[in-house]
Amino acid sequence: MPQLTLEQIVSRTGDLPALPEATLSVMRETDKAEATARSVAQHIIKDQSLAARVLRLANSAFYGLPRQVNQIEEAVVILGMRTVKNLAMIASSYAWFAKELKGYGLGPQDMWRHSLATATAAQVIAEHTRKAPGDLAFCCGLLHDLGKLALHVWLDGSVDKVIQIAIQTGKPFDEIERAAFGFDHADVGAHLAAGWNLPESYKLSMNYHHRPDECPTPDPVVDMVHLGDYLAMSMGLGLGADGMVYALSEGALERLGLNESSLEELASKFLDAWEKSSSMTKELAA
Amino acid sequence: MSSPVLVGMADIKVAKGTGTLTCVGLGSCIGICAFDSSQGIAGLAHIMLPEAFDKNHVDKLGKFADTGVPELLRQMAELGANTRRLQIAIVGGAQVFKFGTPGTAPKMDIGARNIEAVQKALRDVNLQIQAKDVGGNLGRTVTLDVATGTVKVRTVSKAEIVLCNFKGAMPLAA
Ligand SMILES: [Fe+2]
Ligand SMILES: [Fe+2]
Repeated sequence: MPQLTLEQIVSRTGDLPALPEATLSVMRETDKAEATARSVAQHIIKDQSLAARVLRLANSAFYGLPRQVNQIEEAVVILGMRTVKNLAMIASSYAWFAKELKGYGLGPQDMWRHSLATATAAQVIAEHTRKAPGDLAFCCGLLHDLGKLALHVWLDGSVDKVIQIAIQTGKPFDEIERAAFGFDHADVGAHLAAGWNLPESYKLSMNYHHRPDECPTPDPVVDMVHLGDYLAMSMGLGLGADGMVYALSEGALERLGLNESSLEELASKFLDAWEKSSSMTKELAA
Repeated sequence: MSSPVLVGMADIKVAKGTGTLTCVGLGSCIGICAFDSSQGIAGLAHIMLPEAFDKNHVDKLGKFADTGVPELLRQMAELGANTRRLQIAIVGGAQVFKFGTPGTAPKMDIGARNIEAVQKALRDVNLQIQAKDVGGNLGRTVTLDVATGTVKVRTVSKAEIVLCNFKGAMPLAA
Protein backbone atom coordinates (compact mmCIF):
# COMPACT_ATOMS: atom_id res chain seq x y z
CA MET A 1 0.00 0.00 0.00
CA PRO A 2 1.29 3.51 -0.79
CA GLN A 3 2.88 5.37 2.08
CA LEU A 4 1.26 8.77 1.83
CA THR A 5 0.24 11.29 4.44
CA LEU A 6 -3.39 11.93 5.18
CA GLU A 7 -3.15 15.27 3.37
CA GLN A 8 -1.57 13.63 0.31
CA ILE A 9 -4.24 10.95 0.19
CA VAL A 10 -7.01 13.51 0.39
CA SER A 11 -5.45 15.83 -2.19
CA ARG A 12 -4.92 12.92 -4.61
CA THR A 13 -8.47 11.63 -4.32
CA GLY A 14 -10.87 12.99 -6.92
CA ASP A 15 -14.57 13.49 -6.39
CA LEU A 16 -14.50 14.29 -2.67
CA PRO A 17 -17.74 15.01 -0.85
CA ALA A 18 -18.56 18.64 -0.13
CA LEU A 19 -21.62 19.95 1.64
CA PRO A 20 -23.44 22.70 -0.30
CA GLU A 21 -22.94 26.16 1.18
CA ALA A 22 -26.71 26.41 1.71
CA THR A 23 -26.71 23.29 3.88
CA LEU A 24 -23.81 24.54 5.96
CA SER A 25 -25.53 27.84 6.55
CA VAL A 26 -28.77 26.06 7.52
CA MET A 27 -26.82 24.08 10.09
CA ARG A 28 -25.29 27.22 11.56
CA GLU A 29 -28.57 29.09 11.49
CA THR A 30 -30.55 26.41 13.34
CA ASP A 31 -27.94 26.50 16.11
CA LYS A 32 -28.63 30.17 16.77
CA ALA A 33 -31.05 31.10 19.53
CA GLU A 34 -32.63 33.82 17.40
CA ALA A 35 -33.29 31.54 14.38
CA THR A 36 -36.83 31.70 12.95
CA ALA A 37 -38.71 29.66 10.35
CA ARG A 38 -38.15 32.51 7.91
CA SER A 39 -34.42 32.84 8.56
CA VAL A 40 -33.88 29.09 8.19
CA ALA A 41 -35.98 28.97 5.02
CA GLN A 42 -34.02 31.84 3.51
CA HIS A 43 -30.82 29.82 3.70
CA ILE A 44 -32.39 26.80 2.02
CA ILE A 45 -34.03 28.62 -0.87
CA LYS A 46 -30.68 30.06 -1.88
CA ASP A 47 -30.12 26.61 -3.36
CA GLN A 48 -33.12 25.74 -5.53
CA SER A 49 -32.23 22.10 -6.09
CA LEU A 50 -31.69 21.61 -2.36
CA ALA A 51 -35.01 23.32 -1.65
CA ALA A 52 -36.81 21.05 -4.11
CA ARG A 53 -35.37 17.90 -2.54
CA VAL A 54 -36.18 19.08 0.98
CA LEU A 55 -39.77 19.72 -0.06
CA ARG A 56 -40.04 16.28 -1.63
CA LEU A 57 -38.82 14.69 1.62
CA ALA A 58 -41.16 16.84 3.71
CA ASN A 59 -44.08 15.69 1.56
CA SER A 60 -43.10 12.03 1.73
CA ALA A 61 -45.48 9.57 3.32
CA PHE A 62 -43.12 9.38 6.28
CA TYR A 63 -44.38 12.66 7.75
CA GLY A 64 -47.99 12.09 6.74
CA LEU A 65 -48.76 15.79 6.36
CA PRO A 66 -52.47 16.44 5.80
CA ARG A 67 -51.79 18.44 2.66
CA GLN A 68 -49.02 19.19 0.18
CA VAL A 69 -46.48 21.73 1.43
CA ASN A 70 -45.08 23.95 -1.31
CA GLN A 71 -43.04 26.50 0.60
CA ILE A 72 -39.90 25.80 2.59
CA GLU A 73 -40.94 28.25 5.29
CA GLU A 74 -44.20 26.37 5.74
CA ALA A 75 -42.26 23.08 6.01
CA VAL A 76 -40.11 24.61 8.76
CA VAL A 77 -43.21 25.78 10.64
CA ILE A 78 -44.93 22.40 10.40
CA LEU A 79 -41.99 20.06 10.85
CA GLY A 80 -39.72 22.22 12.99
CA MET A 81 -36.30 23.59 12.12
CA ARG A 82 -34.40 20.63 13.53
CA THR A 83 -36.25 18.21 11.28
CA VAL A 84 -35.79 20.44 8.24
CA LYS A 85 -32.09 20.68 9.04
CA ASN A 86 -31.92 16.86 9.06
CA LEU A 87 -33.72 16.81 5.70
CA ALA A 88 -31.22 19.26 4.24
CA MET A 89 -28.39 17.04 5.45
CA ILE A 90 -30.05 13.93 4.00
CA ALA A 91 -30.72 15.67 0.67
CA SER A 92 -27.10 16.88 0.49
CA SER A 93 -25.35 13.63 1.32
CA TYR A 94 -27.47 11.04 -0.47
CA ALA A 95 -25.68 11.33 -3.80
CA TRP A 96 -22.22 10.63 -2.31
CA PHE A 97 -23.31 7.80 -0.11
CA ALA A 98 -25.43 6.06 -2.76
CA LYS A 99 -22.30 5.36 -4.81
CA GLU A 100 -20.56 2.04 -4.96
CA LEU A 101 -17.41 1.93 -2.80
CA LYS A 102 -15.50 -1.01 -4.21
CA GLY A 103 -12.57 -0.64 -1.83
CA TYR A 104 -14.87 -1.53 1.06
CA GLY A 105 -16.86 -4.11 -0.86
CA LEU A 106 -19.92 -1.86 -0.74
CA GLY A 107 -22.35 -2.04 -3.64
CA PRO A 108 -24.49 0.90 -4.81
CA GLN A 109 -26.79 2.08 -1.97
CA ASP A 110 -24.97 0.03 0.69
CA MET A 111 -23.07 2.96 2.18
CA TRP A 112 -26.25 5.04 2.10
CA ARG A 113 -28.18 2.32 3.93
CA HIS A 114 -25.44 2.05 6.56
CA SER A 115 -25.23 5.83 7.04
CA LEU A 116 -28.99 6.33 7.32
CA ALA A 117 -29.27 3.34 9.66
CA THR A 118 -26.50 4.66 11.91
CA ALA A 119 -28.15 8.10 11.94
CA THR A 120 -31.54 6.59 12.81
CA ALA A 121 -30.05 4.40 15.56
CA ALA A 122 -28.02 7.29 17.05
CA GLN A 123 -31.22 9.35 17.21
CA VAL A 124 -33.10 6.50 18.89
CA ILE A 125 -30.30 6.27 21.48
CA ALA A 126 -30.32 10.05 21.99
CA GLU A 127 -34.06 10.08 22.56
CA HIS A 128 -33.85 7.09 24.90
CA THR A 129 -30.99 8.44 27.04
CA ARG A 130 -31.83 12.16 26.69
CA LYS A 131 -28.16 13.02 26.91
CA ALA A 132 -27.94 14.94 23.60
CA PRO A 133 -30.37 16.36 21.02
CA GLY A 134 -31.71 13.69 18.67
CA ASP A 135 -31.17 15.77 15.52
CA LEU A 136 -27.49 16.29 16.34
CA ALA A 137 -27.00 12.56 16.94
CA PHE A 138 -28.82 11.89 13.64
CA CYS A 139 -26.64 14.21 11.54
CA CYS A 140 -23.41 13.05 13.17
CA GLY A 141 -24.46 9.44 12.61
CA LEU A 142 -25.22 10.18 8.98
CA LEU A 143 -21.70 11.48 8.34
CA HIS A 144 -19.70 9.14 10.62
CA ASP A 145 -18.08 7.06 7.86
CA LEU A 146 -17.47 10.03 5.53
CA GLY A 147 -13.76 9.17 5.39
CA LYS A 148 -14.55 5.92 3.58
CA LEU A 149 -15.56 8.03 0.56
CA ALA A 150 -11.90 9.02 0.18
CA LEU A 151 -10.11 5.96 1.55
CA HIS A 152 -12.00 3.38 -0.52
CA VAL A 153 -10.00 4.35 -3.60
CA TRP A 154 -6.80 3.40 -1.81
CA LEU A 155 -8.14 0.12 -0.44
CA ASP A 156 -9.45 -1.12 -3.78
CA GLY A 157 -7.83 -4.45 -4.51
CA SER A 158 -6.31 -4.92 -1.06
CA VAL A 159 -9.34 -4.96 1.24
CA ASP A 160 -9.51 -8.75 1.32
CA LYS A 161 -5.90 -8.92 2.47
CA VAL A 162 -6.61 -6.31 5.16
CA ILE A 163 -9.63 -8.31 6.33
CA GLN A 164 -7.61 -11.51 6.49
CA ILE A 165 -5.03 -9.78 8.70
CA ALA A 166 -7.74 -8.32 10.90
CA ILE A 167 -9.51 -11.65 11.39
CA GLN A 168 -6.29 -13.63 11.90
CA THR A 169 -4.85 -11.20 14.42
CA GLY A 170 -8.20 -10.53 16.09
CA LYS A 171 -7.69 -6.80 15.63
CA PRO A 172 -10.41 -4.41 14.55
CA PHE A 173 -10.41 -3.23 10.94
CA ASP A 174 -9.68 0.42 11.82
CA GLU A 175 -6.55 -0.65 13.65
CA ILE A 176 -5.31 -2.48 10.57
CA GLU A 177 -6.08 0.62 8.48
CA ARG A 178 -3.92 2.64 10.86
CA ALA A 179 -1.13 0.07 10.61
CA ALA A 180 -1.29 0.19 6.80
CA PHE A 181 -1.80 3.92 6.19
CA GLY A 182 -0.82 5.58 9.45
CA PHE A 183 -4.45 6.76 9.86
CA ASP A 184 -7.93 5.27 9.46
CA HIS A 185 -11.20 6.21 7.73
CA ALA A 186 -12.27 8.00 10.91
CA ASP A 187 -9.25 10.34 10.73
CA VAL A 188 -9.89 10.97 7.04
CA GLY A 189 -13.52 11.87 7.69
CA ALA A 190 -12.63 14.34 10.42
CA HIS A 191 -10.03 15.86 8.12
CA LEU A 192 -12.53 16.24 5.25
CA ALA A 193 -15.07 17.93 7.50
CA ALA A 194 -12.54 20.18 9.24
CA GLY A 195 -13.18 23.04 6.85
CA TRP A 196 -16.96 22.93 7.23
CA ASN A 197 -17.00 24.67 10.60
CA LEU A 198 -19.61 22.34 12.00
CA PRO A 199 -20.12 21.98 15.75
CA GLU A 200 -17.36 20.06 17.54
CA SER A 201 -19.56 16.93 17.96
CA TYR A 202 -19.34 16.25 14.20
CA LYS A 203 -15.57 16.14 14.14
CA LEU A 204 -15.31 14.19 17.37
CA SER A 205 -17.90 11.59 16.41
CA MET A 206 -16.31 11.08 13.01
CA ASN A 207 -12.84 10.84 14.51
CA TYR A 208 -13.65 8.60 17.48
CA HIS A 209 -16.61 6.52 16.35
CA HIS A 210 -14.55 3.32 16.59
CA ARG A 211 -12.56 4.40 19.67
CA PRO A 212 -14.93 6.44 21.81
CA ASP A 213 -12.87 5.78 24.95
CA GLU A 214 -10.03 7.78 23.44
CA CYS A 215 -12.09 10.89 22.75
CA PRO A 216 -10.17 13.76 24.43
CA THR A 217 -13.27 15.71 25.48
CA PRO A 218 -16.23 13.67 26.68
CA ASP A 219 -19.20 14.05 24.33
CA PRO A 220 -22.29 11.82 24.55
CA VAL A 221 -22.83 12.19 20.79
CA VAL A 222 -19.59 10.27 20.17
CA ASP A 223 -20.90 7.37 22.25
CA MET A 224 -24.30 7.52 20.53
CA VAL A 225 -22.74 7.36 17.10
CA HIS A 226 -20.49 4.50 18.23
CA LEU A 227 -23.48 2.51 19.47
CA GLY A 228 -25.62 3.58 16.50
CA ASP A 229 -22.92 2.23 14.18
CA TYR A 230 -22.88 -0.97 16.26
CA LEU A 231 -26.65 -1.40 15.92
CA ALA A 232 -26.58 -0.69 12.18
CA MET A 233 -23.85 -3.31 11.74
CA SER A 234 -25.63 -5.84 13.95
CA MET A 235 -28.77 -5.45 11.92
CA GLY A 236 -26.70 -6.10 8.80
CA LEU A 237 -27.49 -2.73 7.21
CA GLY A 238 -24.96 -1.93 4.51
CA LEU A 239 -22.24 -4.30 5.65
CA GLY A 240 -19.16 -4.23 3.44
CA ALA A 241 -16.05 -6.38 3.23
CA ASP A 242 -15.02 -5.01 6.63
CA GLY A 243 -18.24 -6.50 7.98
CA MET A 244 -18.46 -6.25 11.73
CA VAL A 245 -14.72 -6.42 12.28
CA TYR A 246 -14.82 -3.62 14.84
CA ALA A 247 -14.82 -3.47 18.61
CA LEU A 248 -17.73 -2.50 20.82
CA SER A 249 -16.79 -0.16 23.66
CA GLU A 250 -18.23 -1.02 27.02
CA GLY A 251 -17.26 2.47 28.14
CA ALA A 252 -19.69 4.01 25.65
CA LEU A 253 -22.52 1.95 27.13
CA GLU A 254 -21.58 2.89 30.68
CA ARG A 255 -21.21 6.59 29.95
CA LEU A 256 -24.72 6.64 28.49
CA GLY A 257 -26.08 4.70 31.46
CA LEU A 258 -26.89 1.66 29.30
CA ASN A 259 -26.17 -2.04 29.59
CA GLU A 260 -26.35 -4.99 27.25
CA SER A 261 -30.00 -5.73 27.74
CA SER A 262 -30.80 -2.11 26.94
CA LEU A 263 -28.94 -2.66 23.65
CA GLU A 264 -31.49 -5.31 22.70
CA GLU A 265 -34.34 -3.02 23.64
CA LEU A 266 -32.76 -0.26 21.55
CA ALA A 267 -32.36 -2.67 18.63
CA SER A 268 -36.07 -3.37 18.80
CA LYS A 269 -36.93 0.34 18.93
CA PHE A 270 -34.51 0.91 16.10
CA LEU A 271 -36.41 -1.46 13.83
CA ASP A 272 -39.58 0.59 14.23
CA ALA A 273 -37.72 3.84 13.51
CA TRP A 274 -35.88 2.26 10.59
CA GLU A 275 -39.07 1.16 8.86
CA LYS A 276 -40.03 4.83 8.73
CA SER A 277 -36.71 6.51 7.99
CA SER A 278 -35.69 4.03 5.29
CA SER A 279 -38.90 4.80 3.42
CA MET A 280 -37.45 8.23 2.60
CA THR A 281 -34.85 6.67 0.32
CA LYS A 282 -37.30 6.23 -2.52
CA GLU A 283 -37.99 9.98 -2.55
CA LEU A 284 -34.26 10.60 -2.96
CA ALA A 285 -33.68 7.98 -5.62
CA ALA A 286 -36.57 9.35 -7.68
CA MET B 1 -37.25 -17.48 -12.80
CA SER B 2 -39.33 -15.01 -10.85
CA SER B 3 -37.53 -12.53 -8.61
CA PRO B 4 -36.74 -13.72 -5.09
CA VAL B 5 -39.05 -12.93 -2.20
CA LEU B 6 -37.16 -10.66 0.20
CA VAL B 7 -37.55 -11.56 3.83
CA GLY B 8 -36.90 -8.32 5.72
CA MET B 9 -35.93 -7.91 9.37
CA ALA B 10 -38.47 -9.60 11.65
CA ASP B 11 -40.32 -11.04 8.64
CA ILE B 12 -41.36 -14.62 7.95
CA LYS B 13 -42.16 -15.86 4.46
CA VAL B 14 -43.39 -19.28 3.34
CA ALA B 15 -43.83 -20.76 -0.14
CA LYS B 16 -44.90 -23.97 -1.83
CA GLY B 17 -43.61 -25.54 -5.03
CA THR B 18 -41.46 -22.88 -6.65
CA GLY B 19 -39.78 -19.56 -5.96
CA THR B 20 -36.85 -18.28 -3.96
CA LEU B 21 -36.79 -16.86 -0.45
CA THR B 22 -33.89 -14.67 0.63
CA CYS B 23 -32.54 -12.64 3.56
CA VAL B 24 -30.18 -10.00 2.21
CA GLY B 25 -27.54 -8.74 4.63
CA LEU B 26 -27.64 -10.72 7.83
CA GLY B 27 -25.40 -9.29 10.54
CA SER B 28 -26.23 -10.55 14.01
CA CYS B 29 -29.67 -11.58 12.77
CA ILE B 30 -30.35 -15.20 11.89
CA GLY B 31 -32.09 -16.62 8.86
CA ILE B 32 -33.87 -19.87 9.72
CA CYS B 33 -34.53 -21.97 6.63
CA ALA B 34 -37.12 -24.69 7.04
CA PHE B 35 -38.18 -27.26 4.46
CA ASP B 36 -40.71 -30.04 4.15
CA SER B 37 -39.41 -32.04 1.19
CA SER B 38 -42.42 -34.34 0.95
CA GLN B 39 -44.73 -31.38 0.35
CA GLY B 40 -42.24 -29.01 -1.28
CA ILE B 41 -42.99 -26.34 1.31
CA ALA B 42 -40.32 -23.87 2.42
CA GLY B 43 -40.13 -21.15 5.03
CA LEU B 44 -37.59 -18.48 5.94
CA ALA B 45 -37.61 -16.38 9.13
CA HIS B 46 -35.37 -13.33 9.67
CA ILE B 47 -34.83 -13.28 13.45
CA MET B 48 -33.40 -10.09 15.01
CA LEU B 49 -33.19 -10.77 18.73
CA PRO B 50 -33.07 -13.73 21.13
CA GLU B 51 -36.20 -13.33 23.20
CA ALA B 52 -39.31 -11.24 23.48
CA PHE B 53 -39.24 -8.69 26.33
CA ASP B 54 -42.89 -9.31 27.04
CA LYS B 55 -44.39 -12.35 25.33
CA ASN B 56 -47.91 -10.93 25.56
CA HIS B 57 -47.03 -7.78 23.66
CA VAL B 58 -45.02 -8.70 20.60
CA ASP B 59 -45.61 -6.45 17.60
CA LYS B 60 -43.88 -8.77 15.14
CA LEU B 61 -43.52 -12.41 16.11
CA GLY B 62 -40.65 -12.87 13.65
CA LYS B 63 -38.51 -10.38 15.55
CA PHE B 64 -37.53 -12.82 18.31
CA ALA B 65 -36.22 -16.39 18.27
CA ASP B 66 -38.62 -17.61 20.94
CA THR B 67 -41.74 -16.28 19.19
CA GLY B 68 -40.42 -16.54 15.61
CA VAL B 69 -39.83 -20.31 15.53
CA PRO B 70 -43.39 -21.27 16.57
CA GLU B 71 -44.80 -18.69 14.14
CA LEU B 72 -42.67 -20.07 11.28
CA LEU B 73 -44.03 -23.55 12.04
CA ARG B 74 -47.59 -22.25 12.24
CA GLN B 75 -47.35 -20.55 8.85
CA MET B 76 -45.82 -23.63 7.25
CA ALA B 77 -48.48 -25.90 8.76
CA GLU B 78 -51.10 -23.58 7.32
CA LEU B 79 -49.68 -24.31 3.85
CA GLY B 80 -49.90 -28.03 4.63
CA ALA B 81 -46.41 -28.83 5.88
CA ASN B 82 -45.73 -31.61 8.34
CA THR B 83 -43.91 -29.54 10.96
CA ARG B 84 -42.56 -32.59 12.74
CA ARG B 85 -40.45 -33.51 9.75
CA LEU B 86 -38.95 -30.16 8.85
CA GLN B 87 -35.36 -29.91 7.78
CA ILE B 88 -33.56 -26.86 9.13
CA ALA B 89 -30.55 -24.72 8.26
CA ILE B 90 -29.50 -21.58 10.13
CA VAL B 91 -27.35 -18.73 8.84
CA GLY B 92 -26.07 -15.49 10.41
CA GLY B 93 -25.35 -14.55 14.02
CA ALA B 94 -22.19 -12.60 13.23
CA GLN B 95 -20.88 -10.20 15.85
CA VAL B 96 -18.44 -7.40 16.51
CA PHE B 97 -15.30 -8.18 18.48
CA LYS B 98 -16.01 -9.14 22.02
CA PHE B 99 -15.33 -6.66 24.71
CA GLY B 100 -14.69 -7.23 28.37
CA THR B 101 -11.88 -6.72 30.80
CA PRO B 102 -9.09 -9.25 30.44
CA GLY B 103 -9.53 -12.06 32.94
CA THR B 104 -13.30 -11.90 33.05
CA ALA B 105 -15.48 -14.05 30.84
CA PRO B 106 -16.36 -12.15 27.67
CA LYS B 107 -19.94 -11.07 27.57
CA MET B 108 -22.24 -12.35 24.92
CA ASP B 109 -23.04 -10.21 21.96
CA ILE B 110 -26.44 -10.11 20.23
CA GLY B 111 -25.08 -12.42 17.50
CA ALA B 112 -23.96 -15.15 19.92
CA ARG B 113 -27.15 -14.82 21.98
CA ASN B 114 -29.21 -15.14 18.81
CA ILE B 115 -27.45 -18.38 17.85
CA GLU B 116 -28.10 -19.87 21.28
CA ALA B 117 -31.70 -18.73 21.38
CA VAL B 118 -32.49 -20.06 17.90
CA GLN B 119 -30.92 -23.41 18.75
CA LYS B 120 -32.94 -23.59 21.96
CA ALA B 121 -36.21 -22.61 20.26
CA LEU B 122 -35.65 -25.35 17.66
CA ARG B 123 -34.82 -27.92 20.37
CA ASP B 124 -38.04 -26.96 22.12
CA VAL B 125 -40.03 -28.07 19.07
CA ASN B 126 -37.83 -31.16 18.53
CA LEU B 127 -36.30 -30.02 15.27
CA GLN B 128 -32.71 -30.76 14.36
CA ILE B 129 -30.40 -28.42 12.53
CA GLN B 130 -29.08 -30.01 9.36
CA ALA B 131 -26.61 -27.36 8.37
CA LYS B 132 -25.41 -24.04 9.70
CA ASP B 133 -23.16 -21.17 8.78
CA VAL B 134 -23.10 -18.97 11.86
CA GLY B 135 -20.84 -16.69 13.89
CA GLY B 136 -17.78 -14.83 12.69
CA ASN B 137 -17.69 -11.11 11.94
CA LEU B 138 -18.94 -10.85 8.36
CA GLY B 139 -22.32 -10.17 6.78
CA ARG B 140 -24.14 -12.91 4.89
CA THR B 141 -26.98 -13.31 2.42
CA VAL B 142 -28.95 -16.56 2.44
CA THR B 143 -31.14 -17.89 -0.37
CA LEU B 144 -33.50 -20.85 -0.25
CA ASP B 145 -34.68 -22.31 -3.55
CA VAL B 146 -38.13 -23.74 -2.96
CA ALA B 147 -38.16 -26.11 -5.95
CA THR B 148 -34.79 -27.73 -5.32
CA GLY B 149 -34.41 -27.26 -1.56
CA THR B 150 -30.99 -25.73 -2.03
CA VAL B 151 -29.65 -23.30 0.58
CA LYS B 152 -26.96 -20.95 -0.65
CA VAL B 153 -24.92 -18.49 1.40
CA ARG B 154 -22.98 -15.51 0.16
CA THR B 155 -20.57 -13.71 2.44
CA VAL B 156 -19.76 -10.14 1.34
CA SER B 157 -16.94 -10.08 -1.27
CA LYS B 158 -16.67 -13.88 -1.31
CA ALA B 159 -18.04 -16.51 -3.68
CA GLU B 160 -21.45 -17.99 -2.99
CA ILE B 161 -21.42 -21.47 -1.41
CA VAL B 162 -24.06 -24.20 -1.32
CA LEU B 163 -24.68 -24.77 2.37
CA CYS B 164 -26.96 -27.78 1.91
CA ASN B 165 -29.59 -29.33 -0.25
CA PHE B 166 -32.69 -30.43 1.63
CA LYS B 167 -33.68 -32.80 -1.17
CA GLY B 168 -30.20 -34.28 -1.46
CA ALA B 169 -29.51 -37.69 0.02
CA MET B 170 -26.72 -36.44 2.23
CA PRO B 171 -27.24 -33.12 3.91
CA LEU B 172 -24.09 -31.53 5.28
CA ALA B 173 -23.64 -32.32 8.93
CA ALA B 174 -24.12 -29.46 11.32
FE1 LIG C 1 -16.43 3.49 10.65
FE1 LIG D 1 -19.97 2.70 10.25
